[in-house]
Amino acid sequence: MSTRLLRGGVAAAAAALLALAGCGGGGGNGSGSAPAPQLNLTGEKSGKLTIVTKFADPQYAPYFVEITKAYQAANPKVTIDLQQVGDQPYKDKIRVLSAANQLPDIYFSWAGDFANKFVRAGLAADLSSVIGPDTAWGKTFAPASLKAFSDSGKYYGMPIDLDGKYLVYNKTAFAKAGIDNPPATFEDLLTDCGKLKAAGYTPIAFGNQYGWPAIHFITQLNAYDVPGDQLAKDYNPKTGAFTDQRYVTALQQFKSLADTCSNSGANGLAHEAAQANLVSGKAAMQYMESLEFKVMTVAGGAPKETADNWSFMRLPPSSSAAGDTKALTGAPDGFMVNAKSKQAALAVDFLKFFSNQENASKMVKELGWLSPVSGSVTNDNAFPQLVDTLKDMNEASQFAIWLDTVTQATVADAYLSGVEGMLSGDKTPEQVMKGVQDAAAKAKKQVG
Amino acid sequence: MTALLNRWRTLVWVAPAVALLLVFVYYPIVENVRLSFFSWNAFSPHPVFVGLDNYTTAFHDHVFWTALWNNTMYAVVSLIVQVGFALVLAAVLEEFVHQRLRGFLRTVYFIPATISITVAGILFSFLYNPQFGLVNRALSAVGLGSWSHAWLGEKSTAIWSIIAMSQWQSIGYTAVLFVVAIQRIPREFYEAVRVDGAGPVRSFFTITVPMVREMTTLLVIITVSGAFLVFNEVMVMTAGGPDNSSHVLNTLLYRSAFFADDMGYAATIATVIFVITFVVAVVQLAVTRRRRVEW
Repeated sequence: MSTRLLRGGVAAAAAALLALAGCGGGGGNGSGSAPAPQLNLTGEKSGKLTIVTKFADPQYAPYFVEITKAYQAANPKVTIDLQQVGDQPYKDKIRVLSAANQLPDIYFSWAGDFANKFVRAGLAADLSSVIGPDTAWGKTFAPASLKAFSDSGKYYGMPIDLDGKYLVYNKTAFAKAGIDNPPATFEDLLTDCGKLKAAGYTPIAFGNQYGWPAIHFITQLNAYDVPGDQLAKDYNPKTGAFTDQRYVTALQQFKSLADTCSNSGANGLAHEAAQANLVSGKAAMQYMESLEFKVMTVAGGAPKETADNWSFMRLPPSSSAAGDTKALTGAPDGFMVNAKSKQAALAVDFLKFFSNQENASKMVKELGWLSPVSGSVTNDNAFPQLVDTLKDMNEASQFAIWLDTVTQATVADAYLSGVEGMLSGDKTPEQVMKGVQDAAAKAKKQVG
Repeated sequence: MTALLNRWRTLVWVAPAVALLLVFVYYPIVENVRLSFFSWNAFSPHPVFVGLDNYTTAFHDHVFWTALWNNTMYAVVSLIVQVGFALVLAAVLEEFVHQRLRGFLRTVYFIPATISITVAGILFSFLYNPQFGLVNRALSAVGLGSWSHAWLGEKSTAIWSIIAMSQWQSIGYTAVLFVVAIQRIPREFYEAVRVDGAGPVRSFFTITVPMVREMTTLLVIITVSGAFLVFNEVMVMTAGGPDNSSHVLNTLLYRSAFFADDMGYAATIATVIFVITFVVAVVQLAVTRRRRVEW
């Protein structure tokens, strides 16, 4: 590069920077209030629907493809562009589509603040008139699943599945350790971990390589230890402060659980790698989503000794828990409709088709997921533990939505990294909460 | 008149390339710098102008400094291994190894460079696995079990484990480039120093090192720039954890944009990366001009 060219480049860069100083605001998505698209279909079903999901996993993708094909076969004038990407790539893709005003007609969302972001930005259609609990379609769903996608009394999403977090345990291991009944309290669990260790088992198989498995424990412990109104206040980015001492208590409990019950090196071990220890009978328990239960069956690849000898329980609360001890960590995943979609009515019609009794039962049978559609889970299409899971979910007072999706992203990030630091012995529970409090202050500033 | 016509003709021919450069290279850079002065995310209806706030935040963000430090360490280790050791390796291959074995070894060293970085990352995740990983097993087998770690799960070892993987993958590539450079050196030079009584080490420092300096400079630039652009290996192996200890600037950028929904801050980090790599490139180009080898 010649000196003259270099000078020219520097001068151009300086000029560009000076010009920038005078620049104003950029683009965006327009109004934060959701418009009211037409949701009731009139006339013939025709047109093109775009759908983006996060179910690219080869185990799940074919089911969604089949449903779209079936809808197109029933409605020949409708074409569907279905795009499925993986879990993490979906988070990137949907943000890029949102920023570019290119959201599809129907898109996937986790419950909690992830969904609320679309609501706040006016990108989620208010579906209350068609899926509210008093509507014909809404009555086909478990009410708690609809509530997970509600905000200020309005309903913005259709739940796809039901997912809860349970301690799955090997009954043989419990018997060998002399544990007759599953522990009723958190303190009992710690005691039982000692018995399991003495019997030669890793009490709880725990892999926390990407941070979220620990966060699921914290979600449940926060719900147990912190009263509901305080939780609601702190999980709302506009009012969150996280100064209640009981958040520290929850972290202390988790630390004692990790120290007493889990394998070492959890931060360097993937959840799935740890799971192999439970499936192979080397570990006695793992904290697992009901969506994963299929791995404990022969059809899911487990050996027969494991498949015939497993059950599940909730993470037991501490005897001094001050919060809701009937709450269950979990949430449905959902589909939302683009508020600016010109095909919103057709999108709703497709979602009604997706969630009809026949397709919901098919999902339970083929994917091993629980469906929020009432009556879709039966002994004919689900293994016994899955049927029992649904019964247990119905007894839960509420879903404690995943901490990393219910809170604003900055807060979630502080929790994720802070708990990793606590597990590796570099941070105390108090230091973790200090980081969360700082993040909450930043989040408050961000949402105004 | 003819000169003016020629100048216009030149401009017409150059214009498409310049237009493409402006649209796909310079405009995104300028737009990125502009966006770094705003607080915004993919969902925000109205980006808010915050001046230099994002830069101030970066200055006080310990994760940002950790990431910058990690990038710097990546560059330092890569320079030592991928330039220093690779040159020694190439010289040894050319000087001491038999012709037949030489080709085989070059292939062996080069093979890791042909493996996708994602595949290599996953492979090393298994090697570093605290329960069944080869690294801990090997240490135990030779009586060094106390050195075992959850290599990717501990703050003190995570980034170094990733850097080590990266060296394994790249040293063969740079060594082969050095082999090519060494083969271009006239053999008479080596014969002359041998007549003067110089041994292999002396001839390495007096002949090989100065004569491959153009290649050395090129590899220094590639290695340093590459160290500040590293992303895939960190994302695959730790995603910046545990406790943000293995973040590099690019993964921090990605986390800020797509996890924390803070696109303005992500644009700020991108600007910092641009400035660093721009400065490295300019210095490198200036140095190259002065170090041309002629014979």
